[in-house]
Amino acid sequence: MDAAAPILEMLSRPLSLLDSALSKGSDFLAAYRENARLEKENARLLDWQQAALGLASENAQLRELLKLAPEPAGSYVTARVIANSGGTYVRSIVVNAGRENGVKRGQAAITGDGLIGRVTEVGDRAARVLLITDLNSRVPVTVEGSRLRAVLAGDNSEHPSLHYAEEGSALRIGDRIVTLGQGGVFPPGLPVGIVAGFYGELARVEPYAELSRVDYLRLVDYGLSGALPNPPSGAPRNGKRSDQALGQPIHR
Amino acid sequence: MTSLLPVATIIFAMLLSIEPVHIPGYAAVTPAFTLMAAYHWAIYRPALLSPLMLFVIGTLQDLLTGALAGVTALLLLLTYAIVLTHRRRFVNRPFPFIWGGFTLLVCGAMLFLWSLHSLLAAELIDFRSSIFRAVLTISGFPIASFLLGRTQRALMDAG
Repeated sequence: MDAAAPILEMLSRPLSLLDSALSKGSDFLAAYRENARLEKENARLLDWQQAALGLASENAQLRELLKLAPEPAGSYVTARVIANSGGTYVRSIVVNAGRENGVKRGQAAITGDGLIGRVTEVGDRAARVLLITDLNSRVPVTVEGSRLRAVLAGDNSEHPSLHYAEEGSALRIGDRIVTLGQGGVFPPGLPVGIVAGFYGELARVEPYAELSRVDYLRLVDYGLSGALPNPPSGAPRNGKRSDQALGQPIHR
Repeated sequence: MTSLLPVATIIFAMLLSIEPVHIPGYAAVTPAFTLMAAYHWAIYRPALLSPLMLFVIGTLQDLLTGALAGVTALLLLLTYAIVLTHRRRFVNRPFPFIWGGFTLLVCGAMLFLWSLHSLLAAELIDFRSSIFRAVLTISGFPIASFLLGRTQRALMDAG
């Protein structure tokens, strides 16, 4: 994986250049319409910002009253996607950051939109991220604002499904699904997706992040990797991680 | 130098199949480029392919894509073996005949992959993406074969 990383990176550049040139052209045409829409949206967002600021200060005051222990802030590394999984049966991507950048197994991979997967293999300069749509992906999740618990299980389709939801649970289309934070792999409250529909008895979740269009992603270290057993061969090497400075604290 | 061309194109095909292309759902149905190249060269220049190289390239592709290690290597080697044992049926035949052979091969390969993964996952995996992948691979073969043939003529037969 390490040896191929530079080649993959080099090859992915002209393609993404072509990609961006094409999208620039169509973006230009759509710019006028987009502008009108954005102005409207901006006005709406300003309202939301006011509401959020109010809530933030109220939240801070209430936390102060309760003496709530603060959650640990994570540190992150931003990485570029350099290879897709070419297989029909695996949903994973390779990124150009590895042990040298402070990436560890079990770290959460997120974009600005939400969770996309977790780091499963780490090389010195590259790492593999198992996407939440993969057949082998299981993420403990909850519906935002409720105590409902479920496991988000990938099945190689675009929409992973919710398993083991409690009986009689009132899942509705449009419910926001976030990580539960149990198992010590992901922190609680990372946005994952929304319930998009039902397939038999199982609810299907549409991930917030567009998994097939990810260019850059963040690998976040929350200091959790409790539930992941070490790979059977070769314990992780700790000697080379001197550049902790690359990961910067997230300001919330 | 030109004797390295088959191996070089198969390596290129491997890199092509793991490129991140931003088309929704493309990753799941990426055509089996290496299979196309291996089939083409096994018919037209079998002497320049070695089973060892096919094994190495196939294994490398599996490791890079995170697929089941060894599966692609096995498919490439089987392709090589099947074409070589039936070689006299392929030589000097019109292209549609060769394309038909490839179609049979791809259908067999996709069925094999699907049953293997279903067995491992202990459930019947959705086979639609396998079918799409087979269709894309089969319909992509004439283009790949044309390009490979042109490269072959330009570099090997001239030199």
